[in-house]
Amino acid sequence: MRNSRVRLGAAAVAVAALSLTAACSSGGGDDTGGKGGASSKPTKAPVPNYGLGTAADSTGPAKAVPGAVKGGTVHDLDQAGFDYLDPAQQYVSDQLSVSLLYARTLTAYKIDPTTKKTVLVGDLATDTGKMSDGGKTWTYTLKSGLKFEDGTPITSKDIKYSIERLFADFETQGPQYIQSWLYGPDYRKLYKGPYSGQEIPANILDTPDDKTVVFHFKDAHADAPYAMAMPVTAPVPKAKDDKAAYNNHPVSSGPYKIASYKPGKSLVFVRNTNWDPATDPIRNAYPDSWNFSLGIAQPGLTQRIMAGSGDDKYAIDLSGVADPTQMAALTSDAQYKSRTVNEYQPYVETLDINTKRITDPKVRQAIAYAFPMSQVQQVFGGAAQGDLGTTLLSPTIAGWKDFDPFGKKAKPAGDPEKAKALLKEAGNEHPTLVFPYANTPRWQKISLTIANNLEKAGFKVVRKAIDPTSYYTVVGKVNNQYDIYRTGWGADWPNASTVVPPTMDGRNLQDGTNNYSFLNDDHINTEIDRIKAITDLTKQADEWRTLSEYSLQHDTAQVPFLFDKYFNIYGTGLGGVTYNSVTGTINASTVFVKQ
Amino acid sequence: MTSPSQAAADAGDLTLEPEGEPGTPGNKGTPELAGRTPRQLAWLRFKRDRVGVICAFVVGFFILVAAAAPLIVKLYGKNAYDLYGQDDGLLNSSGIPIKPNGGISSDHWFGVEPALGRDVLALLVYGIRTSLLIALAVTVISVATGVLFGLTQGYLSGKTDYFMGRLSDFMLAFPQQLFFIAFSPVAISLLVNPGEQESWWVRPFVLISVQFILGWMSIGRLVRAQVLSLREREFVEAARISGASSWRIISKELLPNLWSTILVQATLLLPVFVTAEAGLSFLGVGILDPTPDWGLMFQTGANNYQSDITFMFFPGIAMVIFVVAFNLLGDSVRDALDPKTLR
Repeated sequence: MRNSRVRLGAAAVAVAALSLTAACSSGGGDDTGGKGGASSKPTKAPVPNYGLGTAADSTGPAKAVPGAVKGGTVHDLDQAGFDYLDPAQQYVSDQLSVSLLYARTLTAYKIDPTTKKTVLVGDLATDTGKMSDGGKTWTYTLKSGLKFEDGTPITSKDIKYSIERLFADFETQGPQYIQSWLYGPDYRKLYKGPYSGQEIPANILDTPDDKTVVFHFKDAHADAPYAMAMPVTAPVPKAKDDKAAYNNHPVSSGPYKIASYKPGKSLVFVRNTNWDPATDPIRNAYPDSWNFSLGIAQPGLTQRIMAGSGDDKYAIDLSGVADPTQMAALTSDAQYKSRTVNEYQPYVETLDINTKRITDPKVRQAIAYAFPMSQVQQVFGGAAQGDLGTTLLSPTIAGWKDFDPFGKKAKPAGDPEKAKALLKEAGNEHPTLVFPYANTPRWQKISLTIANNLEKAGFKVVRKAIDPTSYYTVVGKVNNQYDIYRTGWGADWPNASTVVPPTMDGRNLQDGTNNYSFLNDDHINTEIDRIKAITDLTKQADEWRTLSEYSLQHDTAQVPFLFDKYFNIYGTGLGGVTYNSVTGTINASTVFVKQ
Repeated sequence: MTSPSQAAADAGDLTLEPEGEPGTPGNKGTPELAGRTPRQLAWLRFKRDRVGVICAFVVGFFILVAAAAPLIVKLYGKNAYDLYGQDDGLLNSSGIPIKPNGGISSDHWFGVEPALGRDVLALLVYGIRTSLLIALAVTVISVATGVLFGLTQGYLSGKTDYFMGRLSDFMLAFPQQLFFIAFSPVAISLLVNPGEQESWWVRPFVLISVQFILGWMSIGRLVRAQVLSLREREFVEAARISGASSWRIISKELLPNLWSTILVQATLLLPVFVTAEAGLSFLGVGILDPTPDWGLMFQTGANNYQSDITFMFFPGIAMVIFVVAFNLLGDSVRDALDPKTLR
């Protein structure tokens, strides 16, 4: 998924009231030492391992959070509001974070409240799925005791119906993996959804009994259990489905049901008494209710959580990040440290090099050597906003290992001498680079920084401002006249199958694909097919990593520079706050209200 | 932003009291004992106004700084585009100057900018230049248009006066600040194809245009009011009877009597346009980095005020001094040209 955070969008400049409380400032202090002045601490290997859990892991109830008590109300402050509550439409991280409260899926991520270890387990299903037919057929068995909020039992027919709904013409925003795996890329032409009276035939999606769902995919998909963890597999009762209007009153299968919903204003969840904790391995559901206030403007939102007066003591923002203007106060003041969440998001920031225009790998490597990682991090706002990253895969992907072929960790400020030497070898000491950037204050500054340092290595950089709303469309054109441009890409699930093929497969290059560097390397193309067919996920993860390392070192079509990080705080009255690094949001399942 | 036209309008009306003071310009009235021209009288009165003289020096200093920016920066040894903070390691990993007080040192007298690390003094000097140039252009065009419009309107009167008057009423009805914010991006996208680089002139041109479109009416109305009363005066009648052309009456009889109003208005409009330009750049619809600009410095300052308050001080204090000095100067000029105004 593309990085859709406000970071790129035209961030309205907050008209911050200037408070003249201090006559002079004390200076930032040197937290680094040395020239270049930025943190070059090695990226630590993260604890979460994203493996597949066993059937035993998938049994409820969820592991207790130390010190947790039941009761109370959590107040969530949200900047925007939720475009979609219909599970079939949910793809953006804020929707994924709220979905967990009322929609259960076939599989889900179990996050250990103490060790933070993240594994995929069966949620509605008894395990993460049984594979047969070389990865083409996946069988899920539902647990006993599953009920909707009105007490109707959840059967395999409901799961099948909710999959069928994905094909309806109004369901356009959700992920399309399962649909295209079942029917191929033109799935909408082959099946129009359940409202025409047709069902998906049993040779594609079968429900032999009330507890069993069988998916027959066209190709092998070893990562199917991860796809099942997206809200699209949440059951929708046929009797309550009123097509697009279902979006405003989804029926709960989880621990909470919607008590009231005013779109854009408020959303209140109360306990769903028909939810059986014994069936649920991931949701602790400690609070009695969740009260979402929607449309709270920044930086007021962050300041309210910082101040924590009244009900704001129990406030949290599940998916948003702290307002950038408050970052300095939040990172420097020790009182916020105990209630700060600062973890990796699935996004990797890269500088993509147009391989159709810069054909010499030596020149591309020279760009990699000259790239000023630490200076860009400074403009980003420091290590809390993004960690220096040197791999094309994010640390939130299974099998991630540190890899630094250009020695960027040792010289994060760039190595113009090495770059100059490479350019000399390439026979062009002053190549011109056309560098478009999204015209926002942040990228204006970052583009200046990058240009400044590339010029030290001998490049001639021509910066071009591009309207931020059409940025990706413009740089995604195969015949674009640009040489280097920034993109951000994040995996949909912690397996590089949603990173390597979309960003590196050079077959079928056309406008708007996500291979922004237009890399077309036969070795990578054939490897992608080979690795996709591997059914052992651990082996697959290793192979993806090796391939991404090959691509970085050999082709250097993308220069990774930052791993985006999530940074936010929550109210002092809350405990058990854990983080879901797969979606890049707070994990609502373990939160409790301190008594 | 309110235009100071109201105060000036009162002043303008007072000038036209038909007593025929010796100082009334253009009337070639009975000379005083020393035989001073009205201009000399005004100059004498201005020199006696101490605040006015100080403000004139301050304003002159700002204009000198803007004009001599390249020279100042050359003598100072830093420029407004190099990223000193990043290159010399003067910033910590969050992009905040390591040294206290915004990184003030013997190398960087006003410190370095957060995040990019450009030199604040060089930025400020060039920022003043950008903002003043744009504001000056807007003032000149607005005043010229306003005077022309008002003269035509007042001299022709009748239906022309009515329709032109409604046009300027219509333009006055627009909420200025909202219009600027809403229309600047529209105007820019009209001039720049998506995906192409903006030429350097696009943003200044758009800033000047949108401010000009809503900036000329107040002076136009003032001039019209003046002309309406002047055109019935005896010297104009005399000129008309003696067969002078319309152009001669406008340029030789009416315009010389309007100079004081125009001068006062222009001095009061300029600081208004300077703040408006800075405001637009601050809001992100004006000048963009890396062009140094006063408003952009406020934007950076506002984003970092909690960690680096010092950065806000230099552009802030400079702007306050400039606007106050220019407004006081405008008042003094008015007092000098029109001593009967009561304050």
